[in-house]
Amino acid sequence: MSQPSDTSEELLSRALAGEAPAFGELVRAQQRSVYSLALRMLGNRQKAEDLAQEVFLQLHRNLAAIESAAHLGFWLRRVTANRAIDRLRREPRAQMLPLEAADGVADEAEGADPLLMRQLRVLVGELPPTPRAVVLLRYQEDLDPTDIARALSMSIHTVKSHLKRSLAALRKGIDAAAQDEVGSST
Amino acid sequence: MSNDLDESLRAALRPVDPGEDLTRKVLAAVEQDSSRPPRGPLPPPGHPGWRWPSAVLAIALLVGLATAYHWQLRRQERGLEARRQLIEALQVTSEKLDLAYRVVNEQEHTENGS
Repeated sequence: MSQPSDTSEELLSRALAGEAPAFGELVRAQQRSVYSLALRMLGNRQKAEDLAQEVFLQLHRNLAAIESAAHLGFWLRRVTANRAIDRLRREPRAQMLPLEAADGVADEAEGADPLLMRQLRVLVGELPPTPRAVVLLRYQEDLDPTDIARALSMSIHTVKSHLKRSLAALRKGIDAAAQDEVGSST
Repeated sequence: MSNDLDESLRAALRPVDPGEDLTRKVLAAVEQDSSRPPRGPLPPPGHPGWRWPSAVLAIALLVGLATAYHWQLRRQERGLEARRQLIEALQVTSEKLDLAYRVVNEQEHTENGS
């Protein structure tokens, strides 16, 4: 998500004044973050688009409650993550996302190992909903544990505990995949 | 190793662009939502919208009070009836005891006389 700037503040005040094009610009500026979070939580492009749409609609209805560009970014992440967690709890079968987590949901960083990147996305997709949201808010959205705790209404101790356990599970998963790779090549 | 994993995760979880299509869908949904009549706050006291709920509440309150009053009256009546029956029973018992006492006394007098 882009850092709040004068332009974002200006866009926000224009959107608050009821200018539809300014709201459109706000959506363009924030949709990457909202959609990616929804996609990696739900593991399905259509569901992610639907969720992003609902979140922006809710934003439009509650725009008067947004105090600043920074608050806007935090609000969007909080609402998206919580709505996604609620949806996954209602539809337990959708909790695993093997296909979308693996393919075509990221522009690979230059020099990054595509196999490792894909493996990591699959493993993140296999985490239970709440730890998955914690990991995504930390590593995709770059929130610090205090902000994650506020966004997900949990203690900072719980956030740190989720991060620790999730990283251990990811490391274990990568090691297991590497072992498989070694086994299949010999 | 931990820093490596952190960096790898950041690289793997880079946000993806949904494209202009999502923007268009969102703006269309917002426009459609804006054209709906607003779901405003509750009407102020005295507003015609409150008439029906107020009337229903008042009737429910009156029915409740009447039922409670009737129930209390019935309870009092049952109590008085029970009290009346108890006094009557005590009177009958007292009369029977009195009669028995007199019979015993008369028998004693007869035996002493003879």
